[in-house]
Amino acid sequence: MPDSTDLFQSQFQQALLQPAMDFYRPLADIYDEALLPTGAVRDHWESTLTSLNGLGSDNLAARESKAQRILRDDGATYKSYTDRERTWNLDTVPLIIDSDKWALIEAGISQRSELFNRLFNDIYGPQELIRQGVIPPEVVFSHPGFLRPCFGIKQPSEHALILHGVDLVRTSEGNICVIADRTQAPSGAGYALENRTVMSRVFPDLFRQSQVQRLATFFQTLRVKLNSLSPDDHLPNIVVLTPGSSSESYFEHAYLANYLGYSLVQGRDLTVRNGYVWMKSLSGLSRVDVILRRVDDFYCDPAELKSDSYLGVPGLLEVIRGGKVVLANPLGSGILESPLFLKYLPAISQALLGEQLLLPSVKTWWANDPVDRDYMLTNLSSLLIKLVYQKKGQINILGSQLSAAQLIELREKIRQKPLKYVAQEVIVPSHAPTWQQHEFSPKPVIFTSFCVAGDKAYSVMPGGLTRVCQTVEDPLASYGQSALSKDTWVLSKGSVRHLSLRSDKSKHESMADDQEQNLSSRIVENMFWLGRYAIRAEYALRLLRTIFLQLNNADQLSEKTYQVILLTVTEVTETFPGFTANDKDSNIETALFKDPEAELMSVITDRQRRGSVVANLNEMLNCAEEVKSFLSADTQRVVNDIRDNVNALEQTTKADFASAPEEALDPLVTSLLALSGLVNESMIRGFGWRFIEIGRDLERAYQTTKLVNSLMSPVLTEYDEDAALETVLLTLETLVTYRRRYRDRSGVVNGLELTLLDETNPRSLNSLLQSLKSHVDVLPSRQLGRLMSVEKRLSLELLTKVQLAKPTALCKVAKGVERRENLFKLMKKSQHLLNQLAIVLSDTYFDHTEIQHQVMTASWEDEL
Amino acid sequence: MKYRVRHLTEYSYDSKVNSCYNRAHILPRDTLIQSVDTPRVMILPTPTSGSRRTDYFGNRVYHFSIQEPHTSLTIDVSTYITVKPLGNNHGSQLDYGNTCEQVLQALNYKVPSIETIYAREFLLNSPMVRMSQQLQSFAQGCFNPQKPFLTAVMDLTHKIFTDFDFDATVTSISTPVDEVLAHKHGVCQDFAHLAIGCLRSLGYAARYISGYLETLPPPGQQRLVGADASHAWFSVYSPGEGWFEFDPTNDSVPTFQHIVTAWGRDYADVSPLRGVVFGGGRHQKLSVSVDVARLALQEEA
Repeated sequence: MPDSTDLFQSQFQQALLQPAMDFYRPLADIYDEALLPTGAVRDHWESTLTSLNGLGSDNLAARESKAQRILRDDGATYKSYTDRERTWNLDTVPLIIDSDKWALIEAGISQRSELFNRLFNDIYGPQELIRQGVIPPEVVFSHPGFLRPCFGIKQPSEHALILHGVDLVRTSEGNICVIADRTQAPSGAGYALENRTVMSRVFPDLFRQSQVQRLATFFQTLRVKLNSLSPDDHLPNIVVLTPGSSSESYFEHAYLANYLGYSLVQGRDLTVRNGYVWMKSLSGLSRVDVILRRVDDFYCDPAELKSDSYLGVPGLLEVIRGGKVVLANPLGSGILESPLFLKYLPAISQALLGEQLLLPSVKTWWANDPVDRDYMLTNLSSLLIKLVYQKKGQINILGSQLSAAQLIELREKIRQKPLKYVAQEVIVPSHAPTWQQHEFSPKPVIFTSFCVAGDKAYSVMPGGLTRVCQTVEDPLASYGQSALSKDTWVLSKGSVRHLSLRSDKSKHESMADDQEQNLSSRIVENMFWLGRYAIRAEYALRLLRTIFLQLNNADQLSEKTYQVILLTVTEVTETFPGFTANDKDSNIETALFKDPEAELMSVITDRQRRGSVVANLNEMLNCAEEVKSFLSADTQRVVNDIRDNVNALEQTTKADFASAPEEALDPLVTSLLALSGLVNESMIRGFGWRFIEIGRDLERAYQTTKLVNSLMSPVLTEYDEDAALETVLLTLETLVTYRRRYRDRSGVVNGLELTLLDETNPRSLNSLLQSLKSHVDVLPSRQLGRLMSVEKRLSLELLTKVQLAKPTALCKVAKGVERRENLFKLMKKSQHLLNQLAIVLSDTYFDHTEIQHQVMTASWEDEL
Repeated sequence: MKYRVRHLTEYSYDSKVNSCYNRAHILPRDTLIQSVDTPRVMILPTPTSGSRRTDYFGNRVYHFSIQEPHTSLTIDVSTYITVKPLGNNHGSQLDYGNTCEQVLQALNYKVPSIETIYAREFLLNSPMVRMSQQLQSFAQGCFNPQKPFLTAVMDLTHKIFTDFDFDATVTSISTPVDEVLAHKHGVCQDFAHLAIGCLRSLGYAARYISGYLETLPPPGQQRLVGADASHAWFSVYSPGEGWFEFDPTNDSVPTFQHIVTAWGRDYADVSPLRGVVFGGGRHQKLSVSVDVARLALQEEA
């Protein structure tokens, strides 16, 4: 409450600042976060708004795109149910909350979390609220989120509810009002942290001057709390359980896991054995003590909950009952999200806390209550209608947007199934200045506050996630789906406590070593394939680039050589039948060879075609997504570049096909090279890195053997052999070396020496196999006894075979035979051994979760 | 009356199962009229871990997991059970106590008794039983406000018994109640679900009971071991009077020959075995044999 001097002062300021605020005009009759009804700026907004406006439109636009670039580089995305993945959007104007107002919100939120915690304990324990008639039994019994298998589980700490998200709006009267609670796996805290990181980078001065409270304490508290949940005395092994990279907020799962220094796992990475939960990792099984889960209740244990879920861990609930693993939040907490509790909360608060609620909730009616139902049926057109239990993606109904016929229909539904329907008062949320399309305009905002169980009491994140909506109806009808957000600045009265994020980060980097030992088998497998697909794409691109150049001189090649070169495309990329579809006796031959453009184009851009450049790159991007939390920021940026280039490839290649089509491929080759450089520069030399390197070496060796075999095995005329050799050398980028070294003595023998055997050439098969062997040799062997492990044996055999080969022998041509048999055999043998090695590595180190079946098929569970 | 119940379940898989996680409702619970000695459970292959607990509805649950490769799974449960004849149950006298109207009123009291509060859980839709207009109209005729409630429920039981054919070939475990009503045939689980659906559609609380039924051989014939079956029926709640059991498959009021394993809102709450297996291929074969032996009889033999 501003006292009279404040009022005087702000009117005084208004007089002074009136012209300065011309750039922002709030809407009439709607509470504005930044301006008083008089039009004067609120004190706590003044300096920020003035500074932002002072930057000027162009400068602000530049900062905005800088912010978007950072978000994109960090891979900050959000997927809503209705559309595909998009980059998280951050408005450059923060939401600002002054310290006095914040104190009220903070007290209200922490009281609410305490209350919800007791509510949870009561529902799954004594059920006093039901027994004493504080809530009708149907509130609990009819809600699908009341998980009967979770009843009576002993919670390891007084505060079972670890995290609590509360959605708040400010009404036209300026009062803060709760519109929803998020209690299973509240998302958004990570996005809030990312927003803060970006804002403090893009507006360092403004941020420093503004006395903004830091967010790090919140995560520190979370970490301490999770550590305290250890079932034993030891420091617990904590993991973040995600549904996977197709989840709407996967970015946040990876981001938080990284920030907190925990392993990011999926259900299939975990297994239940002997009454404990274990993570399947490279070094075997490692016990998991605490699971920070982002998987919804039903999906966590197919043995007892949703039986066709593949996102959970079978047997998990029994381990929880045994007290050998702790989930945050506990299973069953989804029921607390029922809007029915908003109706009964004041009474619940009296019963469980003996206190009045500090923060009111939005007024809520339940159709199962006769009085409420009458009210709903009469006033339907002015209410917001929701289902008590909402499935993901379901949207609320605004009575005002329904036709007369729709209203009648809805009334009938409510009469038929009164248990299912609630209505809420329509609140017009306050508006806040938002910088869009080069101007400041007022937009409705919803603020999500996050609360974490501390040592004794709940503590509230001094900040949170503010979402901006485009229309007044938007936040109510489809709240949570907007991907435009704001950083939220809670101003501090005194000086800001500096618990910097940076010092926090260095701490978790030192934990990376522990994590390295615990790399899940799934991560390792994705690393391996990340390496392989990247190289596959890279070699295909190089080869195609070379071939486009060669085809320019096609009239100088013999027909046979021309065909050998095109066949190489099919053989190296394994896009069969491709050019091998040519039947020597038919006319297709001439057609395909005459106009190879369409086929070459398809090999580059057809995403449906296995082996095409785009298909390989997409596979690579999928792997990168799975191992996101292990990639450095720079690496992530390069991955983003590759994604952009892939999306643009079809356009650019088509456009360039008429002249110098190879140019279109250059940026991708460069990005792939940058990726491999970064992997080498920035990754810790642990098993993750090693498996990427194994994947790369193995694939490079494999590609080299295919390339050399396709182009060098056929016996051609000397002139044509030079052209074929040139194709090999150009593709392997060794042509310059070759020319310098063998100036006068060129020929196949020297070419093979350079590409296969030369130890000084890092791209020679010999060098690649040496490197491959060195990596395989240090893998943790699972072999018992003194025998060499199969993978070591294979890599030794490969290397030896190649090292013992002699170029002249490889070149030998028997009379009447059209190919170099020795070379052909060595290449085929090497390919066979490389394939064997890949299989053995996969069997030994990767996870092979078998298909999970239900003991009985339960179709009725669709209802859940 | 003392019984020994042996319930043998065998699964065989067409390829190797490497591990499985199960929750079993196979250990009979204590009730007001039956007491159960500690059941003996034999599972092959031997579970890596196993534990017993009491579930939300007071039933005994056995959790077990197996971590060794296997192609068959055997669960063999033997239980000794003593049933008090005619305990608190009502025999054939049904024309006393609450009328239908009184039951409905008491269920909806503003301040209900604790027992009634918890009975209200069985007024609601459950995973396998949804209330409907059709169910309501099917059962309507059996009930009127002044009629003794239990008489009305017996009439419904009788109506199901006479209108429906018992036919084990036409239903899977998860046949929706509407379908059972439309085709007029089913098995004991379907009839129990149907009756429960009818009662809830009319506003009465009803729960599902799984268990066993002692079958007596025709006079002069030897009792066949293993010929008995697991069975299902239902019970209804009459405020102030308690829960009363009815068996629509046999048109009877259960007495000492019905042995209760577990109860819940419907089959989904008490299915004998549910869980997850890893491996095992697409097909599994299941065979179940149940033997309810009256101990006095056996001793005579």
